[in-house]
Amino acid sequence: MKNTSQTNKKILTFPQMGNYYIPVKFFFRHVCNCEIMTPLPITTNTIEIGSKYSPDFVCTPFKYTLGTFIESLERNANILIQAGGGCRYGYYSELQEQILKDLGYDFTFVNLVTAGNRNLKYISNEIKKIDPHYKKIKALYYLFIASKMVKYMDKIDNYIRENIGFEDEKGSFIKLNNKMLKEFSRVKTYHQLRKIYKNYNKKFKNLKIHKPNNCLKVGIIGELYTIMEPFANYYLEQELASYNIQIKRYTNAHYLLFEKGKTVKKYLKYAQEYIKYRMGADAHDNIARCKYLCTHNFDGIIHIKSSFCTPEIGAMPIINKICKQYNVPIIYFSFDANTSEIGIKTRLEAFYDMIEMRRKK
Amino acid sequence: MKECYLGIDIGSISTKGVIIDSQNNIIKSRYIWTEGSPIKAVKKLINNLKENLDKNIIIKGIGTTGSARKLIGLMLDANIIKNEITAHAIGTLTFYPNVRTILEIGGQDSKIILLDNGIITDYSMNTLCAAGTGSFLSSQAKRLGVDVEEFGEIAITSTNPVKIAARCTVFAESDLIHKAQVGYDKKDIIAGLCKSIVLNYLNNVGKGKKIYSPIVFQGGVSKNKGVLKYFKEILKEDVIVDPNSHLMGAIGIAILARENKTNKIYDLNIADIKFETIGSECNGCSNNCEILKIYRDNKLIDAFGNKCPKGAIKS
Amino acid sequence: MDKIKIGIPRALHFYYNGRLWKNFFENLGCEVVISPPTNREIIEQGTKYAVDEMCLALKIYLGHVAYLKNKCDYILVPRIDRYDVNNQTCTNYLAIYDIVNNLFDMNILNYNINVPKKENDYVGLVEIGQSLGYTITEGIRAYNKAIYYCEQIIDKDIRINTKKLDSNKIKILIVSHPYIIYDQYFGVPIIKMLNDNNLEIIYADKFDNKQTNALANKLSKTLYWKYNREEIGAIELVKDKIDGVIFISSFPCGPDSLVNELVMRKLKLPYLNIIIDDIDSLTGIETRIESFADILHEKHKSNQ
Repeated sequence: MKNTSQTNKKILTFPQMGNYYIPVKFFFRHVCNCEIMTPLPITTNTIEIGSKYSPDFVCTPFKYTLGTFIESLERNANILIQAGGGCRYGYYSELQEQILKDLGYDFTFVNLVTAGNRNLKYISNEIKKIDPHYKKIKALYYLFIASKMVKYMDKIDNYIRENIGFEDEKGSFIKLNNKMLKEFSRVKTYHQLRKIYKNYNKKFKNLKIHKPNNCLKVGIIGELYTIMEPFANYYLEQELASYNIQIKRYTNAHYLLFEKGKTVKKYLKYAQEYIKYRMGADAHDNIARCKYLCTHNFDGIIHIKSSFCTPEIGAMPIINKICKQYNVPIIYFSFDANTSEIGIKTRLEAFYDMIEMRRKK
Repeated sequence: MKECYLGIDIGSISTKGVIIDSQNNIIKSRYIWTEGSPIKAVKKLINNLKENLDKNIIIKGIGTTGSARKLIGLMLDANIIKNEITAHAIGTLTFYPNVRTILEIGGQDSKIILLDNGIITDYSMNTLCAAGTGSFLSSQAKRLGVDVEEFGEIAITSTNPVKIAARCTVFAESDLIHKAQVGYDKKDIIAGLCKSIVLNYLNNVGKGKKIYSPIVFQGGVSKNKGVLKYFKEILKEDVIVDPNSHLMGAIGIAILARENKTNKIYDLNIADIKFETIGSECNGCSNNCEILKIYRDNKLIDAFGNKCPKGAIKS
Repeated sequence: MDKIKIGIPRALHFYYNGRLWKNFFENLGCEVVISPPTNREIIEQGTKYAVDEMCLALKIYLGHVAYLKNKCDYILVPRIDRYDVNNQTCTNYLAIYDIVNNLFDMNILNYNINVPKKENDYVGLVEIGQSLGYTITEGIRAYNKAIYYCEQIIDKDIRINTKKLDSNKIKILIVSHPYIIYDQYFGVPIIKMLNDNNLEIIYADKFDNKQTNALANKLSKTLYWKYNREEIGAIELVKDKIDGVIFISSFPCGPDSLVNELVMRKLKLPYLNIIIDDIDSLTGIETRIESFADILHEKHKSNQ
């Protein structure tokens, strides 16, 4: 293995997850004095090397992110950022760091979340590892903008999800979204960001769609990484949209970072006939959402997770029970590095046939 | 002139074809091995079907289903291409209009389909692992030195099936080897394997599904009497295996072809059509997608396999 | 009046707290029904209720719950949230009460452990006592008596375990969750194999867990699972006195998949990693244990 620290230049990178690299990159670009490598997209190669160096029955996000780290180190990155918590994810960092060191790489590992808790002082110390002279005030300001950016991205994303299956001009939503993201990454102030958002919000609403009032509606619930990284769910949403289905999904970065803490009590109360306690990661959230989808005229539910995701496995018997009670069809996908794409497409197509047949009845 | 419809179900192991008329009568049917080459298999299949076919018959629709449905659909210019779950349900319903549960174990996949009043209300498929499917069964048969066709006959002679862990292929295999090494009787091991397939199926694919009668069992494994026996024993219900059970997918897709017919009349002389697929690697990114280009009579008609627009090829 | 019958599943946290629970309820004057050691029927029942992908230990737990159905008035299913921020448990413990409550139609006695919020065994059990019609004083007395009794036994266990470190035999440390290694169906046959290979067995969970918990930091800085901390801390505690380590985990245990991998990478001693799923035949494991024992014996001979 080659040593990557021949130059003193700091090159920072982090794992891919949907489009969220844009606000993350934005933050570090303004706060830390270092070069930032845009996260490498996950490819088949990423999964292959990630799986090769991962323990056997670890959940899939571990393999994906480890693969990305190795690919980035090979391209001379030397500062790696990892963050996660709520389940096993919180412990990824230490093992990944060890695996990468054992492979002979030289790098700094920054872990923004510890034991599943967010702690500003701890995070501040971790950022000092990247740039000891970073300015806290500046960091807070850009953190604020980045978090708003996440919020706006997610808002637009929700609109896209509900309408992309009905666009008049194929590809118009994605095209506009890419344009917006490009402008987002260039903003300097919050004011600018807000203006761009408002502008694009209007543009999106003006995109022509042909959406029937009674279109098929499907809710997606499940484990967060698999939901948020399209490569990990084999572009499930894209596939569903091609069947002219309106998609509802709850989990996004804004929810996880800013809302989740507030919803625990609300969700537990809403689904109190099924659950009394939180069940780890997003398991109880998904149970409450399942009840909501079942009672609000959704035609079907898709539950996705990576293989071996313990919290979601724990929620499955309860989710199953709810769907049975309300007679709403549900399919489960458990994605692994070896999942066959054709198998997924067949199941989705059959799912679509089924919900359409049920509608006709 | 008699209007008829051709349905083809191309699975990983076998390829099935059927010609039906407008009253669902089976005019002709064929069943051959796919042998890893769906195009060759379908050409052979259609030539077989064509032989001695009544001159009065015209083909008004072609449907394809099964794992190679898209490729063969393109080759034959089918008027409908549908997944095998829907096709199997439609096919079974024409013969058993009251069916409530369809159990299916095929070569690579196993599935359960629940119906009510002729409508699919629920289904599920194996979690993308081959444990408990036909290919697993045949590889274990090979390991035990038994012909897979004899498997069922041997299994039903056992009164004391050995317990075999079958959650995962790897564990099942090692368990099986040990059982054989320790000295269990072969027939009891085979019976144990059949039983474990049933248990695994019910615990995985059939988890949480309420199984109502009438129950129809199909797919390649339904020909295995041992597996059938344990389904009956464990479900404590009668389980129907239709003599044409292997054709249900093909029949279903033929019916769908009829329902979606156009004015087109199909010619079955396809043996001379030059139909080629050329695989190439897209080097747009490190995905290195395998892109399959499909040519009919040297004309590019479609390409697929690319994960992103970079690899898109226009016909 | 008939005694109140309380059922306790012999699985998962039973192996940490079962003695306390049994003693507590008996002190109160209840009858305690503990499900029998895991057997084939329990495994089959568990598989029936469980989701296919659940870990073996949770499947077995559900089998034990199923066994107790109709055999008791109440079944005890405590939930563990956390002991503190660095001492959490796997998410199955968070979910276990709600899973059981949804899958089974039974009267459940439940209490929650969340130590930072002052929810612990003591408070939980006394409250359950109250809900069954006993006074607070009766509850406290029953608890104190039970905890005293348990501490005696734990002290004795630690003494025996520690004494084995002086043995002349080849010594191996078993790093495994108690609900696996002390399970009659899965762990006990493995222990027997180890005995047959003339090995002295030292258990990672039978040390002063405050001490082992603190030592875990030397192997892993960010580890936040209590049980894993105590088990790997034991490695640190006895590493100079043992000849090898055997990791035993159930398929597919979430914490073990990461923690054991990390520890194995850092460990300087010979080790063996055994993963068990629902397998009747232990031949495969036997072969691996034998060859591991052979290696240790050879090494020992050449060192003398």
